[in-house]
Amino acid sequence: MTWLRLHRHALAGALRRLAAQPLASAFSILVLAVAISLPVLAAVALRSAGTVAASLETDPHVNVFLALDATDEDVRRIGEALKSSPEAVAVKFIPRAQALEELRSTTHLAEILDSLNGNPLPHAFTVRVRTTDIAKLNETREAWSKLPKVDQVAADFEWSERLGQWVRFGNTVLATIALVLACAVAFIVGHLIRLQVVSQREEIEVSQLVGATASDVRRPFLYHGLTQGALAGLVAVGAAAAVAAWLGTQLRALTPSYAAEWNIVFLSPGACLAVVGIAGALGLAGAWWAVGRELRRFAAAR
Amino acid sequence: MIQFSSVAKRYEGGLEALHGVSVEIAAGEMVAVTGHSGAGKSTLLKLAAGLERATSGTVVVHGQNVGALGETALAMLRRRIGFVFQDHKLLFDRSAYDNVALPLRVSGFAGDEIGRRVRAALDKVGLLARERAMPVALSGGEQQRLCIARAIVNRPSILIADEPTGNLDADYAKAILELFQSFHRVGVTVLLSTHDEAGVERLGCRRVALASGTVAP
Repeated sequence: MTWLRLHRHALAGALRRLAAQPLASAFSILVLAVAISLPVLAAVALRSAGTVAASLETDPHVNVFLALDATDEDVRRIGEALKSSPEAVAVKFIPRAQALEELRSTTHLAEILDSLNGNPLPHAFTVRVRTTDIAKLNETREAWSKLPKVDQVAADFEWSERLGQWVRFGNTVLATIALVLACAVAFIVGHLIRLQVVSQREEIEVSQLVGATASDVRRPFLYHGLTQGALAGLVAVGAAAAVAAWLGTQLRALTPSYAAEWNIVFLSPGACLAVVGIAGALGLAGAWWAVGRELRRFAAAR
Repeated sequence: MIQFSSVAKRYEGGLEALHGVSVEIAAGEMVAVTGHSGAGKSTLLKLAAGLERATSGTVVVHGQNVGALGETALAMLRRRIGFVFQDHKLLFDRSAYDNVALPLRVSGFAGDEIGRRVRAALDKVGLLARERAMPVALSGGEQQRLCIARAIVNRPSILIADEPTGNLDADYAKAILELFQSFHRVGVTVLLSTHDEAGVERLGCRRVALASGTVAP
């Protein structure tokens, strides 16, 4: 009971302290919120790019185009070779006539195609492959293009794989930025708490004289740091959500309907909660560091 | 209750405030520590209250060896001892009520219990009507009594006062000493320092005379 009351008092004291200087508190929380919202927005951008990359990567396939003079026997032989390849998951044959028919129906090239004498398209295989690894893919492509009567091997998803790699690189950059800004948040909170501790030096000393333990002294400042951090995290998530929503409407106005997959994807509720939690923890860590440091200084001065 | 055995206290910089001090104060006893300025009175009191640690020798309070206690245990011991500081150590940014409530808040008392105890303590020292006053609005004697109220609010079994009559005129000093006597009468162990020899005579309590950091015969 006493333990719970001590914590309740410390929390109430921290909130009172925040409310006692509303303008100063608001500014420090805003500064922290800006620092936190930067990695949050970067994460939103990467998440959005990541979903695009993922949607493109779902069906990695390689198109194998045969020479125009390939015979049915060549088709059978190449088909067998592709099917027996360990990298191929599924092999689908697209005869040149079908390809021409598809081209005619899905584009506006019918008149031009009609004006040609004969079918300019080759037979083709669409092979779904196991790997999205560029090096392995190049090996496979190399091997397949060496088959007789194969004209060209094209891997359409190569660029999406490259986008995926950029997203992964972006994540590394994001993690670095987040780490640096997390340190900044801890130091900012630590500095603010340090000023509080110094301004309350008398109260701390008298409290210790009447029997306050080190944790009694530390507790209200830790709650102060925690609430400051968590509030800043909350403001940062809210601000980032507003910015993301605004950018989303801008993006929708810019992109035509067929590019519907380009969308701003905000953080999940769990991730938002994690941001607030981490911000609170950083505030706590900063306060812990600051109070410990000042108390040691007070003790040395006595 | 309080036991000093061959206690020495040397401060950083080499000043030896006490040496070879052996004094025993029984439970419920009232003892006045007398001597000139610099005789070591304040040091003796601070050692007895666990506010400082002896350089050598042992100080046992409430059956606990103060020198062997950790920081937290030492803080817990301080809660069981009321201390009236020579320089009052009042907080000037809060009311008389909040000054007295500080030890109870530190100990984690409930709000209504704090109210009851603070008013009882303020009433005891005659400051109940001034509970909302800021310390700066109180006279020197009232500040002294406020400090006493804060010392007794935890209902300690040991009350220690460092020069409680120091800067007060004779009538006021007499009233303060009578206040301590009233605590002594209800069973509290009282240890106070003073250089007011006449006051000690009137109290009729045991005297420990210090001279140059050691107990004078």
